Amino acid sequence: MTKWLVSLPPTLFLVVFFLVPALLMVGASFQQPGDFGGLVPAMQDGQFTLSLETYRFFLGDWIYAEIFGRSFLVAAATTLICLLLAYPLALLIARSGQRHRNLLVLLVILPLASNFLIRIYAWIILLGPVDLLYTPFAVIAGMVYVHLPFMVLPLYNNLEQHDPALLEAAQDLGAGTWTRFWRITLPLSLPGIWAGSALVFIPVLGMFAIPELLGGTRDLLIGNLIKEQFLDNRDWPLGSTLSLLLTVAVLALAGLSARAGRLRRGRA
Amino acid sequence: MKALRASVVAVLLAVLAMLAHAEDVLYLYIWNTYLSEDTVQRFEVQCRCRLKQDFYSDNEEMLAKLEAGAIGYDLIVPTGNAVETLLRKNALRPLDKSKLPNLKNVKAEFHDPWYDPGMRYAVPYATTVTLLGYNATRLAELGLPTDSWALIFEPRHLEKLKGKVTVLNSQRELMAAAMKYLGYSVQENDPARWDEAKRLILRAKPYWATFSNSTYIKDLAIGNIWVAHGYSSDMFRAQQDAQEAKRPFTIGFRTPKEGAVLAVDSFVLHKSGRRPDLAHQFIQFMLEGANAADVSSLIGAGNPNAAAMPYIPPEIAGNPGIFPPPDDLRRLEMLRDFDPKTRRLLSRMWTEIKVR
Repeated sequence: MTKWLVSLPPTLFLVVFFLVPALLMVGASFQQPGDFGGLVPAMQDGQFTLSLETYRFFLGDWIYAEIFGRSFLVAAATTLICLLLAYPLALLIARSGQRHRNLLVLLVILPLASNFLIRIYAWIILLGPVDLLYTPFAVIAGMVYVHLPFMVLPLYNNLEQHDPALLEAAQDLGAGTWTRFWRITLPLSLPGIWAGSALVFIPVLGMFAIPELLGGTRDLLIGNLIKEQFLDNRDWPLGSTLSLLLTVAVLALAGLSARAGRLRRGRA
Repeated sequence: MKALRASVVAVLLAVLAMLAHAEDVLYLYIWNTYLSEDTVQRFEVQCRCRLKQDFYSDNEEMLAKLEAGAIGYDLIVPTGNAVETLLRKNALRPLDKSKLPNLKNVKAEFHDPWYDPGMRYAVPYATTVTLLGYNATRLAELGLPTDSWALIFEPRHLEKLKGKVTVLNSQRELMAAAMKYLGYSVQENDPARWDEAKRLILRAKPYWATFSNSTYIKDLAIGNIWVAHGYSSDMFRAQQDAQEAKRPFTIGFRTPKEGAVLAVDSFVLHKSGRRPDLAHQFIQFMLEGANAADVSSLIGAGNPNAAAMPYIPPEIAGNPGIFPPPDDLRRLEMLRDFDPKTRRLLSRMWTEIKVR
C-alpha cells in the first residue's frame, strides 16, 4: 500500500508530462499543417484528414536521414571526448582525501550556476580571435564543455564507492598499476560509464542552441531542424515526425545500452 | 486536448484575475528592446497603471506561444504577415477609433497595408528594412560596392571577403534577398525561380562565415566580420557600438539597389486581453509625436508617425537605411505567408542549403 502511494506521484507525473505529449506528437505526425500554422483537425467537413503524407515526405530523399546520421556522430564524438576527459578527473576526485572531495565536486558543478547561454557566448569570445569560431570544432568544444559535469558526476559517484581493499589485495598478488585499473577499477565502473554516457549522449542529440551559436554554415543538427519546423516554418506535422523518430532512436539506444550493461555485469 | 487546454486556460484566468484585482495592469507582448524604460515610466505616470512586458525575438516565437494557448496579453506588436495570421485566426479585437484621435499622426503611406486596409485592427509603430551592414573602412580599402546584393552573392566580390560575411539564419529573409537579387518578387509562385535562388545561395555559401540572427551585431561592431545581412535597427546598434568603443573603422548600412524586405510592426489588441481600455490609452499615448519618436531615436527603427519626425535627431531621420527615400520605398516588399505546401517545399530547400 505504502509502495503504491509513494510511486503514484512520479508515475502520474510521467504519464501526464511524458506519455500524453508523446501521444499528442504521434497524432500530430499524421495530421496536416494548417494554413496559418497549427494543425488541420483530424476530422474536417466529415472528411478524414489523417495521412502518411509527412512520413512519405521524410522518406522521399536522403537529406533528413543524413542529418540524423550527422547528429548521432556529433553526439557520439562528444560522449567519447567527455568520457576521456572526465574519467581521470573523477578518479582523481574519488581518490583524493575526504576533506578535498566535496570542494572538488563543488568546483565541477560550479559552472552550472551561471546561465548556459552566457557560457556559450564566452566561447564566442574565446574562439573568435583564433579563427575557430563557426566550425565543427567549435560545436564539439561547446558541447563537451557544457556536458562534462554530467559525465564527471556519475563516474565519481561510482568510483568513490569502490572498496580500496580490492586494489590492495590485487597489489599484494603482484598486479601492477595498469593491471589493477584494467582488471578491477574499469569493470567496476562500467555502470557509471553507461549512466554518464546516457546523460551526455541524449541531450547532445537534441541540442540546437550550441550549433546555432557556434556552428558554421554546415553545422545543422537534428535539434535545429526540429526547432525550425515548429517555429520558423510552422509545420507541426513534420516537426512531430522528426521528434518522434528521434525519441524512438533514443529509446532504442537506451534499451540497447541497458542490455549491454546487464550483459557486462553478468559476465563480471 | 480540448479539455486539457480548457483547464489550463481556467487556471491561468484564475491567476490573472487575482493579479488584476490588486491593481490596473496592462499586459504587453513585444519585441526585445522595442520600448524604452523612459517611455514606460511616462506612460505609467499618466495612466496610473502598471505596464507589464513579455518579450519575443521573432514573430514565429510569438505566434507559437499564442498557438500553444498563451492568453492574457492586451497588446501585441506583430509584423504584417503575423498580423494577417492573427486576423485569420480571429484572435484580434477591432480598434475603437473614437478613443484614438492621434491616429491622424500616422503617415498616409501606412494607412492601407495589404493585411489591414484602413487600420481597423493594427496601428503601425515602427519599420525595419532587411539590408546589408558593412565595415565601411574595410570595404573602401577593398574597393567593393556597398549598394548591391552582389556583395554577398557574387563569388568575384566574395573572394575578397571569405569568412567575413554572415547572412540571416532565416529561410524567408535569405531566400527573399536572393530573389530580389535575381529580379523576382519575394512572393514568387514558380518553384523553378525558387530553385534558381537556392543555387545562387549554394554557390555563395562556401564564402560565408555563418548564418546568424543576433551575433552579427557584435561581430560587426568588433571587426570580426565585414559584411552582414540583417535588420536596419541591428546595424544601427552595431554602428553605435563601434563608435562608442572608438574602433578604427565605421559601420555603414544601406538598402541594396535591387530592393529588399520591409517589415512594419504594429500594435494589435488580442482578444484574450482583459483591459482593452488601457490598451487604447497606451496606443493613443504612443501615437503622440514625442513618444512615437523614441523608437527611432533610441533603437534606429523607421517611423510611420508624421508627428514624430520633428523629435527625431536629423542624422537618424536623414539616414536612408532607416528612413528609405521614396525611390527605395518603391523597391521594398513585405513578406506574406505561404500555403503549407509551398512552406514545406521552401523548408526542404532550406534544409538542403544548410546541409550542403
